[in-house]
Amino acid sequence: MNLADELEAVLFAADAPASLEILAAALNYSEGQIAQGLEVLEARLEAKGGLQLVQIGGGYQLSTKPEYADSVARFLKPRPQRLSRSQLEVLAIVAYKQPVTLAEVDTIRGVQSDYGLRLLVERQLIEEVGRKMTPGRPLLYGTTDRFLHQFKLNSLEQLPPLTEDGKADLGKFNVL
Amino acid sequence: MRNELAKFSVSPPCVTALGVVAPPPIQVESDTFSGPLALLFEFVRDRRVNLLDIPLAPVCESYFLYLLSSDRSNLDESAAALVALAYLIERKAWAMLPAPEEEPIEVEEGAALGEGCIGDYQFAIAALTEFEAERLKLFFRPEGAFPSIPPEIINHEIDHLAAAFAAILGRAEPSPFETVHRARRSLASMMKSVLDAISHEYRSLEQIIPAPFTREDAVYWFLAILELIRLGSARLRLDDGNVHFARAAA
Repeated sequence: MNLADELEAVLFAADAPASLEILAAALNYSEGQIAQGLEVLEARLEAKGGLQLVQIGGGYQLSTKPEYADSVARFLKPRPQRLSRSQLEVLAIVAYKQPVTLAEVDTIRGVQSDYGLRLLVERQLIEEVGRKMTPGRPLLYGTTDRFLHQFKLNSLEQLPPLTEDGKADLGKFNVL
Repeated sequence: MRNELAKFSVSPPCVTALGVVAPPPIQVESDTFSGPLALLFEFVRDRRVNLLDIPLAPVCESYFLYLLSSDRSNLDESAAALVALAYLIERKAWAMLPAPEEEPIEVEEGAALGEGCIGDYQFAIAALTEFEAERLKLFFRPEGAFPSIPPEIINHEIDHLAAAFAAILGRAEPSPFETVHRARRSLASMMKSVLDAISHEYRSLEQIIPAPFTREDAVYWFLAILELIRLGSARLRLDDGNVHFARAAA
């Protein structure tokens, strides 16, 4: 039994991203050994098979390869849940300026955003992260791990940076 | 020196037009104010002088001298002076307290990231849209794919549970027609009833549910006991093909 096989079995059974720390504790290896095992597994899966190793939401998880998306979708018949334009606007502001208040989001968008904000909270893409120490102590919002997962990000650092002229450097984005 | 700054002169009590006795004419002298105590009181009240520039100790000394030399019958005048002095002392005490530091204006780290308008986020929104589209091509094992079912339930055949349920349903009486206006009951309250009814001794459902009971009662009791098993508050075991339930050990 080698470590890559062991990791593949564990990640196949896992229904959420597993961090190096958790994998190391579960399999009784050092984090360095786990990282090496994951590299071997990633290369092996990349070479053949319908699954791939994805670094997402602060951990590692197995997913189907994008080239088989249509086949899997025909089988699972997932309900499309794309975000609306206004929800994406609110989400982008929260993601880049978090922690941020509703009033600040309203100011940037120029329109009321409470409905969009509430929908994003219901979809668990953003959450309350505290209160701002200003008069009225308004709620502060930030993104969740589910946000990272839904947008194929491993951490907030992978958000494309906004330069001074507001352009996003999409070229620096990489999942793995 | 101080006595030179505040002087008084004894005169008949002064009654204002509103019938209020004015303070005695204690004269206050300082670099920023010169006049009687009553006038100082008005100026301070209206924020027309800075009280920090006016020494109040000589005014107090003059007040004491006034008390010693004035007629005891001028109590109203003395009280008016005392109220005016107390007001001035309190205002000055507040003024001498250190002023609260102004909160520094927070410069948020993201301030440079174009917080001006939504237009600054257009490329970010486009990027997020692209990431979301990429992510939709990936399928993961859904969350909660392995619900935490207690091994007790897994180990016992579902048929036995179904048989126990069917047995109590068979003994149930039809629901009365007047149930339309009956208060709704919750599973939580039912679970409490079940918990009170079961003991550490294993018994069948028929022994646990107090008779007579309706089909609805039977459903509630059965669901409640399943929920208690799931939560670990109740246990079940199979005896000669029959399911028996008991309260779980604490």
